[in-house]
Amino acid sequence: MKKAKKEEEAIQALKGELQKGKGVDIGTMFVKCAQKEGDEIIFRSQRNAFFEVEHSDFTKKILDNSKVKYIIKEDKLYVVGDEALQFANMFNKETRRPLSRGVISPTEKEALSMVELLIKSVVGQPSYKGEIVYFSVPGDPLDADFNVLYHIKMVEGFLKTLGYTPKSINEGHAIILSELAEEDFTGFGLSFGGGMVNVCLSFMSVPVLKFSVAKAGDWIDQQVAMAVDETASRVSAIKESTLDLNKVDGLSKAESALSIYYNHLIEYVIENIKQEFTKARRLPRITKPISIILSGGTSLPKGFSDRFRQILDRLKLPVPVGSVRMASQPLRSVAKGALVAASADESKK
Amino acid sequence: MALTGTEGDIINSVARLRQATKDQIRRQVGFSLDYIGFLCRDLLRRGYLSFSDGHYFLAKNGIKTLLEEETSKVDRKLLKEIAGEVAKEISGELKKTVKGIKVPIAISQIRKEEEDREQIKIKTDFELPVEDETLALESNINKIGANLEKEKSDIDRSIELFKKFRKGGKR
Repeated sequence: MKKAKKEEEAIQALKGELQKGKGVDIGTMFVKCAQKEGDEIIFRSQRNAFFEVEHSDFTKKILDNSKVKYIIKEDKLYVVGDEALQFANMFNKETRRPLSRGVISPTEKEALSMVELLIKSVVGQPSYKGEIVYFSVPGDPLDADFNVLYHIKMVEGFLKTLGYTPKSINEGHAIILSELAEEDFTGFGLSFGGGMVNVCLSFMSVPVLKFSVAKAGDWIDQQVAMAVDETASRVSAIKESTLDLNKVDGLSKAESALSIYYNHLIEYVIENIKQEFTKARRLPRITKPISIILSGGTSLPKGFSDRFRQILDRLKLPVPVGSVRMASQPLRSVAKGALVAASADESKK
Repeated sequence: MALTGTEGDIINSVARLRQATKDQIRRQVGFSLDYIGFLCRDLLRRGYLSFSDGHYFLAKNGIKTLLEEETSKVDRKLLKEIAGEVAKEISGELKKTVKGIKVPIAISQIRKEEEDREQIKIKTDFELPVEDETLALESNINKIGANLEKEKSDIDRSIELFKKFRKGGKR
């Protein structure tokens, strides 16, 4: 009784003020920052895409008047954010992306400055020097020959430059902190992002298995684009606006291809989880059915969790699975989970 | 019947030379040519050596003797040397005949090697000074601001619970 009262007091003390600590989701598609303000969580986000347009004073003026975000670097003008996608579709071209497969793009020469600007615009200035910020990082990829260390160090270094105390958190783990408190932070957090799918199995809040695969939303877009002769940007727009994975009749060519590649991706992820289970040497004995939380932009189409469940029932994991459900807010759960970690650290100070 | 010391020496000598005449064995082992001839004929009869074209070779029992751990008469160092040479030769032959094809190593062998290899943990940390490259950019992003969303917070209990777990406690 006393314990519960004390806990309630601590919770009350956290309410009603701008609280220290921030959580940032640095994803291939979006950069999103979560901060607690009184009883609310404020999310600030930017789409991680840009598109080069002709640089002239006239264009700049039009963009300013229409409140379209842009960046000028040297003599180049780039439209940034959601509008970059619209511009790309208009010109039937692809957007450029500062992040590729979950990390700073090695082939995009403007990547670093663009990522820095987007991060800066969502995190702002620290409320005090050394404020803790947790930022999401992908797990090491199983199917690609690259390491995430450079990416982590660059983001960490930049956040330090801004005056923060940065700490990294695995993307899948952040989902667990955001969604699985009722289950003692035990279960799977799966983030289906643009560049990667991140998987984390946590037991009593401790990550015991984490990895990523470099096939995700972008891969689906590219495969479908090749299959139906469309641009990947246009496929992405269809995917984000009208795709329904429950629908079986009257599908367009692009929708059919999307459905096929979604199936492939889900199966690929589940098979990789199974494989990692067999490889893992030390895993806790899990006897109670555990939940799987699905999150991320690629999980947004209607019917995604049903499709996931169907495939899972066929392939079976080596642990008992309870519920398979979408995160309460699939585009916010990583930032929210990172915020849980940051707030916990701040309140210890 | 067990091998005598000299018989063991003959087996070693033939193994070293792979094929040997009576005279070659005599030069390595010593004794008279007649005595060596007598012993070799006896080893041939007992299935330790075979004979063809004026040369003695190791036969089934001779090879078996070499492979037996407890045979003190056999030079184990020599055995290893020969095994190494044979392995090299076989691998060379394989490379010649199946050019471009990787000879697979048993998965169990790879796993064992991986398990045996101790994981190296990097203990140092490199603090990377990152410049704020955004200072050189012109942008209206801050003027327009980021996309803003709000939701009712439900994370206070999660924060408290997470703190507890990290301290090593339970719910």
